[in-house]
Amino acid sequence: MSDLLEQLVHGLTLGSLYAMVATGLALMFGVVRLINFAHGEFYMLGGYAFWYAYVELGLPYPVAGLAAVAAMAAFGLAYERAVIRTILARTWHVQLIATLATSITLTNLAIIVFGTQPKEVPTRLSAAILEVGGVRMVWQRVLVLVAAVAIFAALEWFVAHARLGKAMRAMSQNREACAVVGVDVQQVALATFGISAGLAAAAAALVSPLFSIFPDVGALLTLKAFAAVILGGFGYVRGAIAAAFLIGIAESLAAGYLSYAYKDAIAFVVMVAVLLVRPQGLFGRRIGI
Amino acid sequence: MTRTGYRTIGVAIAVGLAWGPAADAPPAGAQTAPPLRVGFSSAMTGPSAITGEGVKWAAQMLADEYNAKGGIMGRKIELYFGDNAGTPGEAVSAVRKLVDVDRVDVIVGQTHSGACLGALPVVKELQVPMVIEACSHPKIRDQIGKNGNEWAFRVNPDDVMLANQFAKFIVQSSKTVSIFAQNDDFGRGAAAAYDAAFKKVGVKLVSTEFFDRGQADYRPVLTRVKRANPEGVLLVMLASEGSVFMRQFREIGLTQKLYARGSMGTVEFLYQVRDSPNIADGLVEATYWTPALDPAWEKQWLERWKVPVRIHGSLAAIAFRYAVAPAIEQAIKKTGKADRKAIRDALEEVDVPNTPVGRIKFDDTHQAFINMLLVEINGGQLKVLEKIPIQP
Repeated sequence: MSDLLEQLVHGLTLGSLYAMVATGLALMFGVVRLINFAHGEFYMLGGYAFWYAYVELGLPYPVAGLAAVAAMAAFGLAYERAVIRTILARTWHVQLIATLATSITLTNLAIIVFGTQPKEVPTRLSAAILEVGGVRMVWQRVLVLVAAVAIFAALEWFVAHARLGKAMRAMSQNREACAVVGVDVQQVALATFGISAGLAAAAAALVSPLFSIFPDVGALLTLKAFAAVILGGFGYVRGAIAAAFLIGIAESLAAGYLSYAYKDAIAFVVMVAVLLVRPQGLFGRRIGI
Repeated sequence: MTRTGYRTIGVAIAVGLAWGPAADAPPAGAQTAPPLRVGFSSAMTGPSAITGEGVKWAAQMLADEYNAKGGIMGRKIELYFGDNAGTPGEAVSAVRKLVDVDRVDVIVGQTHSGACLGALPVVKELQVPMVIEACSHPKIRDQIGKNGNEWAFRVNPDDVMLANQFAKFIVQSSKTVSIFAQNDDFGRGAAAAYDAAFKKVGVKLVSTEFFDRGQADYRPVLTRVKRANPEGVLLVMLASEGSVFMRQFREIGLTQKLYARGSMGTVEFLYQVRDSPNIADGLVEATYWTPALDPAWEKQWLERWKVPVRIHGSLAAIAFRYAVAPAIEQAIKKTGKADRKAIRDALEEVDVPNTPVGRIKFDDTHQAFINMLLVEINGGQLKVLEKIPIQP
């Protein structure tokens, strides 16, 4: 029983990571109908920003985390202005190549700037052990789970009640109608990229003390988050969050009871299996955040 | 920018390119020996890029050192790099680029077993000598020297040689062992070698698990290890993964004896875990290089790069210094030239008895037999437990 509980804890931690990254991906797709293949690199850069603030500048953990979120939100805004705005009206092929090219460029820039040695950012919480019902885990995992829930609740409130959130929701339903009634669609798209990049940095600040940061860390993460977005019903944020947790838990159970070598394949097997039965995704509905 | 603006920049670049070499060329009539074109191939990108960075740094140190002394037999060294990304497919492109574009005389590499296996047919096809510095897959020896590929030579021992010795050490403290290995040619080759070696000495292999490089979470598999409860765990992994693995190993409360193949028993690993230096105390690594073998090299590295000496760069340096450089010297002395064929022939005759890793002399399978080391992490420090000569 404690064995199963342990696998669930791993699954929920992984699920939280995938969900925070997938949320940004789903938001971007929902609002501007574009798949950002450089989104995993937002996580990677967020991790480096957090490492720099926490390790190099010696800022306290919460301040370093917030600094990374702010830095990446600014990066997200710049990325929207420099890359996304210029390709938004182009075909999906152009969008695909442009975001993939950004991903490769950012990864190689990270190799040049930060080197290839993985960066470790151990915190006090990542060394302190909590033991519950025979399951040992570091307190950082508890923080990841609690913070993820808080972030999703805040996002839910933001999309339902805040003016910008409502505009994002409206744009996800009908961009042209929004423009007609006076919504500044460019500003909403800009804000969406800022929020999505900030979310990726929040994930990095929470999870990096458990794992490590290296230039290639975003590649597989983008694919997992992408699988969650597809599984949850393209562009539907709640669906992506639920699917991300499903993938995290499925992966963990597969690694624990079947084979660790094929655990990464599980996300995609689950995705294909669900799409065979429900082509519209688990929570199938029209696009809309 | 206007179209005219772009054209102006284009013309300026073209003029610059045309002018550049001419500006650097020696005065007419001056005689200079042609440079030696040496290629280093390793993973410069991808999850294994840390190895390639080390190789590149080592190559730069070597080139500066040799060129400061006038090169080898008066011929300066020019460096070229190939990026194999640690994979067989990219290794093929890396070798073709080094040969077709850079026109190198000799290659040192490929660091990763899969890349090596991918590169072997190409070096044979293109007839360029390649000295392997760190690929330990047992199948490599079945393909080189008299076994078919006369252009490849290997300095480092393979995992069958290492496993036969290491298993004898492991059985003294662990009768049951789980293997946890990288899911690539290196990891799978080593896992198969240890499976066979354990059978010979009476160690029961409880489980074998493979992981893809760049994993974030090892806890699920550690839970499996906890369930299987072996006396020891053999890790086939590099330092870059090892630090995260060790933190989670301790997090889950495991206390098994740890054995390693890869680069866990290195200063790279200790640097990664410098916030908790005792985290891997007791781990014993089977290896063939450690900084204690060459303190001068380590000092020079630290001064130049300001980070701990990297094992893969150091192995590339060993291969260059004690196999490639003597072969080039021999080739020039014997034939007056250092072309690919002359270097290949000279490599067969290389015999350097006292290198930091032991004697370097290739047998008819183009395999050298250097010493194996057992290195233990103790109190956050590396300690050489044993130096074991490997017999042909």
